Order: sequence, then structure tokens, then C-alpha cells
Amino acid sequence: MANSILAYSSSPHVKNPKTTKSIMIDVCIALLPACVMGVVYFGLKALLILVLAVLSAVASEFIYQLICGKKFNQITKDFDFSSCVTGLLLGMVLGAQSPWYVPVLGSAFAIIVVKMLFGGTGKNLVNPAITGRIFVFMSFTAILTSGWVLPKIGLIGGGNAMVNPETGATILTNTFDAEYGHLLSVSNLDLFLGTGIVGCIGETCKLALLVGAIYLAIKGVINIIYPLIYVAVCGLTSVALAGFDFSWFLPSILSGGLILGAFFMATDYVTTPNTTLGNVIYFILLGLLTAGLRFATKIEVVSFVILLGNLVVPLIDKFIINKPFGALKKAKKKGA
Amino acid sequence: MSLRKGKNYPYGIHVPDKKALTANAVIEKMPAPKKVYLSMSQHIGAPAIPVVNVGDKVNKRQLIGEASGAISANVYSSICGTVTAIEDIVTGNGQKMKYVVIENDGRTDEIFFDQIKDFEPDTIIERIRLAGIVGLGGAGFPTAVKLKPATKLNALIINGAECEPYLTCDYRLMIENTEDIYRGIKYAARALGINRIIIGIEANKPNAIKAFEKYPDLEVVVLKKQYPMGSEKHLIYCTTGRKVPCGKMPFDVGVCVQNIKTMIAVKHAIEDNKALSSTVLTVSGEGINTPKNLRVQLGTPLEDIIAYCGGAKEGVTKVIAGGPMMGKGLISLTSYTRKTDSGFLFLTEGETSLKSSTNCINCGMCAKNCPMRLMPMYIESFAIAGDYLGAEKYGAMNCIECGSCAYNCPAKRSLVQSIQSAKFHIKEMKKNGK
Repeated sequence: MANSILAYSSSPHVKNPKTTKSIMIDVCIALLPACVMGVVYFGLKALLILVLAVLSAVASEFIYQLICGKKFNQITKDFDFSSCVTGLLLGMVLGAQSPWYVPVLGSAFAIIVVKMLFGGTGKNLVNPAITGRIFVFMSFTAILTSGWVLPKIGLIGGGNAMVNPETGATILTNTFDAEYGHLLSVSNLDLFLGTGIVGCIGETCKLALLVGAIYLAIKGVINIIYPLIYVAVCGLTSVALAGFDFSWFLPSILSGGLILGAFFMATDYVTTPNTTLGNVIYFILLGLLTAGLRFATKIEVVSFVILLGNLVVPLIDKFIINKPFGALKKAKKKGA
Repeated sequence: MSLRKGKNYPYGIHVPDKKALTANAVIEKMPAPKKVYLSMSQHIGAPAIPVVNVGDKVNKRQLIGEASGAISANVYSSICGTVTAIEDIVTGNGQKMKYVVIENDGRTDEIFFDQIKDFEPDTIIERIRLAGIVGLGGAGFPTAVKLKPATKLNALIINGAECEPYLTCDYRLMIENTEDIYRGIKYAARALGINRIIIGIEANKPNAIKAFEKYPDLEVVVLKKQYPMGSEKHLIYCTTGRKVPCGKMPFDVGVCVQNIKTMIAVKHAIEDNKALSSTVLTVSGEGINTPKNLRVQLGTPLEDIIAYCGGAKEGVTKVIAGGPMMGKGLISLTSYTRKTDSGFLFLTEGETSLKSSTNCINCGMCAKNCPMRLMPMYIESFAIAGDYLGAEKYGAMNCIECGSCAYNCPAKRSLVQSIQSAKFHIKEMKKNGK
């Protein structure tokens, strides 16, 4: 030992084994159940879209860094799986009818424009997956909002799914197109399981998403309270907007991309506030905006709301700061 | 006699304590080494001034370095021998300090103080000052100064938390030398004129709690096992509910906090008339062959300690003076035991973390866990950008450098290092009158 060179660094000398990479791998694992259900419901085309989205995201990251002059070995060594998360999320919020170039372009935009140009992992201002989704929806609106693939498993909770695969959008549109107080007869069970419901690959099976969210909560990656605040506020605001008709509560939280958005997208570390109070404000704001804008526009707004919320985060972080332990009540007096 | 639970404090972290390596290792007295290297700066404040010359024969507990100012401490020889050198040495922690080197000649002559006649506060404090006693928990603040506060205090708190992982020397002393600690505490309380004595012990040391239960005049407070419970401000809050305001000291809320080892040194100085010349260390980590708790003479070279503990294993990547959360890493084994040392740890690659840092992902773990309720990620970015005023605005000066932020950082950022640098620059700015 006398001849060996000692490593030197500042304290602390022991650290939690959790790293950015391990967290990102956990998120990928948590997303898998919903992806599997998406493939079960919508077939191998769905799998192709997910794979293309992930491959495009990872390739974009590698190519961007190679162009920036980083050595290939170093890129592989530093690879932190965050682009896998972005790619998976993007693939999950596309419909199974999407042509191959949609996930490819969406992922490339998300990684290169939204993430890498701002400085890579942790430096992005807004959530890459959400911005990528908005980018492709703006660019290919007609293709992405029609021609939905019908799921392989039909309704199991009774009722009638008034969905026209050619023109109709998701169940959510139909729900809110209906008159106030009049709900479509799709059971909450079908909404929860995603059976017989058209929609995006990873959004329809709420059960699978919740399983993933619970995994993340147990692993300590997310604080499950925050997305629950989002979902609850959104549901209660919908109830209030519908004239305190509580039968709106479950359909409004189980339809559309709310569960996926709340548990996996809004909780993205990079684009959430840094304080407990800031997070509570942020998630309440998201809930209010989601319910309000859904009623105003009659379309699915979760991704737009999260994008908007992301942009408010720096403002929340500027004004909401923790008070140091023992901070004086009046003007803070420091040092000698 | 009175036993109660400490107040809950919600911010802090849980670190695997690894104390099992040495928790049952009875304190062994390590034989005096061939040579001791006594630093003249084993405390906070001005270094002591050597009062011996090269070639002088000295006895054990003979004064060799004299305190030079109000905040300073005497240094005594820890062996009998001949002074062979008085020189500046750069040690493993990177600091250059003046050392008095004494070669052991095998004699056992010892020098004692005179027996104290009365136990008045001033006599006690003067003896503590004379004996060179400083805060042995790590800070090294002269104890005599601490026992003469400007304001009247009403509680003496003994820090038995020992929240740093691996370290068990305080724990062993609490069960092996309970009576000595108790007597030391009584002298300290007498010096302060305080009746209320609180001893805070973490819940993972039931034997230590049991040992102190028998004293009717001690309030034993069982603290939650949480890091950093041994931090002065948090110990005060959890035992008394008082919050030390930012930028203030414990005496501002009427308390004085003392360390276990310091209390033993006080007892030895007053009853046994002995100057401070040895300390108790934990030598631990997966990288040492036989982890031990040792009583060693001050100035003992680290290499002698390693040899006494059966040598270090292959694969040691880091050697630390102190605990793993706040201790200083050593760049070489050129290190000599000082009063403030509480342990030497030999960590293998699996125990320590050598991962390089990546981008901050804004997860907020650092702010969530910070026991001082600071926002380390902002202070770090201010420090890196050189905006020290910004760092100060976010409370950098309140940082206790406990390492809770960096422990949990998934990006493995050197948060503590950045904050230390910010604190240094803020102090410089203040000094230069900006």
C-alpha cells in the first residue's frame, strides 16, 4: 500500500450509490409496463414506433456529441440513459398509426434542439419529450389526430365507445364535446385499463402507468405526492367546472394523457422547482390549467400545460427559496 | 436519571453507519512510538511557540509549546526523549506546520501538575487552559475560552451523538470510562455555574444510554439516528428546542456544547493533574487488517498506527483523517496524531466514491436534505461563476459543511468543495472591506 497513490477529494468520502444513470434506468424500467400494454393493445406497429423513437433519440445524442468533437469512447462512458427516457416517452405519446418518420423526427428534435443545444442533460429549460411531441403534433396534425388504431381488446366494462377511428380523436375529446353533465357511456374500468379505448401507445393503460409510478416512488426517484396533487386538483377542478357533478371526477383524470403526464413528465427533475413549496405550487398550477384549458378548448392539453408550467419554474425558483435553519425573522444578518 | 426522547428534526440524511467494524473493540493502549511529531497547531487559533531546543531532554507531559495568545493552546510532550528537530513539515492533509520531533529514549518519567486546592470556577478554568485542552470533537477550540462565556448560560450539553459513520471512539469511551466523563462534566458545569446538564446520545448506542442513566443529575436525551445529529446547532435544537440564529453561537441561546473526549481530558487535568498528551482514535475501514479503537500518544505517526493494526490491505484507495462525511482526505501517509483527530479510515474503492461529476439535473435532493435548509445547487453555481455575493445571498456562510448534499447528489457534484470555496472568498471580501 505504501507505494500506491491515494485518491484525494473533498469530503464527503462516502456517497449514495444512486447516480443520474441509475435514476434514468429506473425511469425506463418504470415505463416498461405501459409500453408492454401499448404493444399488447395496438400490435407490433406500436413496438416499432417505440423502438424507432428510442433509437433516434440515442443516435441523435451520439451524433451531436461526435460533431462537437467528443470521443466515441467518452460518449459511451458518459451515456446516462436520459435520451432513452426521452425517446420512450415520445414514442408513448404517439398513436400507433404514426408513420415511421414521426418518432424519428420527434426524438431528433427533442434531443438536439431541446436538450443538447442548451447544454445536455440537466440544462434543458423544458421537457424534451413533451416539446418533441408538440413539435410533431404541430407539424403532422392531420396524420396524428385521425386514423387511430383500434385496440385489440374491446370494451370489457359495458357501454358504448363512441369513437370513430377515422375522424374521432381520443375518448377525451368525445367526453368534453358532449354537453355538460352528459357523459359518454364508457365505464371507468375501461378508461383505467385502456381496453377498447383508442389513444396513444403508452397512455391508455392507466394501471400499467401507476404500477411504474409506484416503482419509482418506492425507489425514491419521485415523490408520489406531487403528481397526486396534480391529478387531484385537475379532477376536482373538472368537477367544479361541470357544476359540482362528481361523476366527472374519474373520467377527467382517467382520460387523455393526464396520468402519464403527471407521473412521468411533470415530475422530470430538470424542469420542476427545487423546493417543497415550489413543487406544490407548480403541481397545483398544472392541475388548474389542465382542467381549465380542457374545458375551454375541448382538446387534450396536458402536454401544452406541462410545457407552460416548465417555463414558469424558473420564476417559482426565483421567489421561493428555503429559509436557512435559524434565519432571523427580520432582515437576515450574516457573519461578522 | 431522567431519560427522554429528543425533538424531531425533519431535515437530515441516513448514512449506513458501518460502526459494527469497531463497536465492540475495547480501547487498546498503543505502546509509545519510537518517535513522535508534535504539531504546534493542534487547535483553532494561533500556533503554540516551541519552548524547547534541539538536543533538549524532555520528560513525558513536559511543556514543549506555549500558547501564544488568547485563542491558542499549550502542547506537551507525549513521551520521554530527546528533541531531535523543530521543523516545518507538509503533512498528508496538505498543510505545512511547525513540528517538534522527539525521539523516545525509553524512560518513563512523567511530570504532573500540583494538586488543585480549591475547586472554584476560575481555578478549574485555569487548569484546563494550562493542560492544553481543546475541543476534541474536531474543531479544536480552546476549552478554557469556551468555559468563560460573555453571557450567563443555563445548560451544558454533552455531545454523545457521534453521528459520523465508522467512528466508535466516543461510544467506547461512554461505556468504558463513564465515570471519568461524568466527573469531567461536573467540573465543566461547575466552571460554568450551570446546574442543568444534558447529554445527547443517538438511539443506535443503547449501551451508552444505559451507562449514563444511573446519574440522577444528568438529563439523557435519546436522539434519532440521523446525520448530522452531532452538529452543534442540531444537537441544541433536538435536546432543548432552541434554535441558534444564523451567524450566532451556542452561547447566544444560553448553552455550551462539549465533547465526550474533552470531558475526560478535563477530569484527568483536574483530578489526576495530567496535561493532555494522548487521545482515543478509531482506526477502521475495509482497508485495514484489524480495525481497532486505540489510545495513542499525541504525535504518533500514522504509519506506526497502521503497523499496530496489522497493516493496510491492498486496494486502499482513500485514507481519511476523521469521519467519512466531514474528515479530511490524506494525500500521503505522512501524518501525525493531533489532539483533534477522532479516527483514521482506510477505505477501499467499494466503500468510497470516486465517480466524476456530471451535469446537475436539478433534482433538488441537496436542498431537500440540507440540515441548514440551504440550497446548495445555487450556491454551487454561484461559486463556480465567481459570484460570491450571490452565494452569500443564498446563505453560503450558514453552511456547516456536513456533506449531506453531496452524499445524496446523483450527479456526484462536489457541492461541499464549491461551498467551501465560496465561504473562503466571502471571508476574503469581508476582510478587504468590500
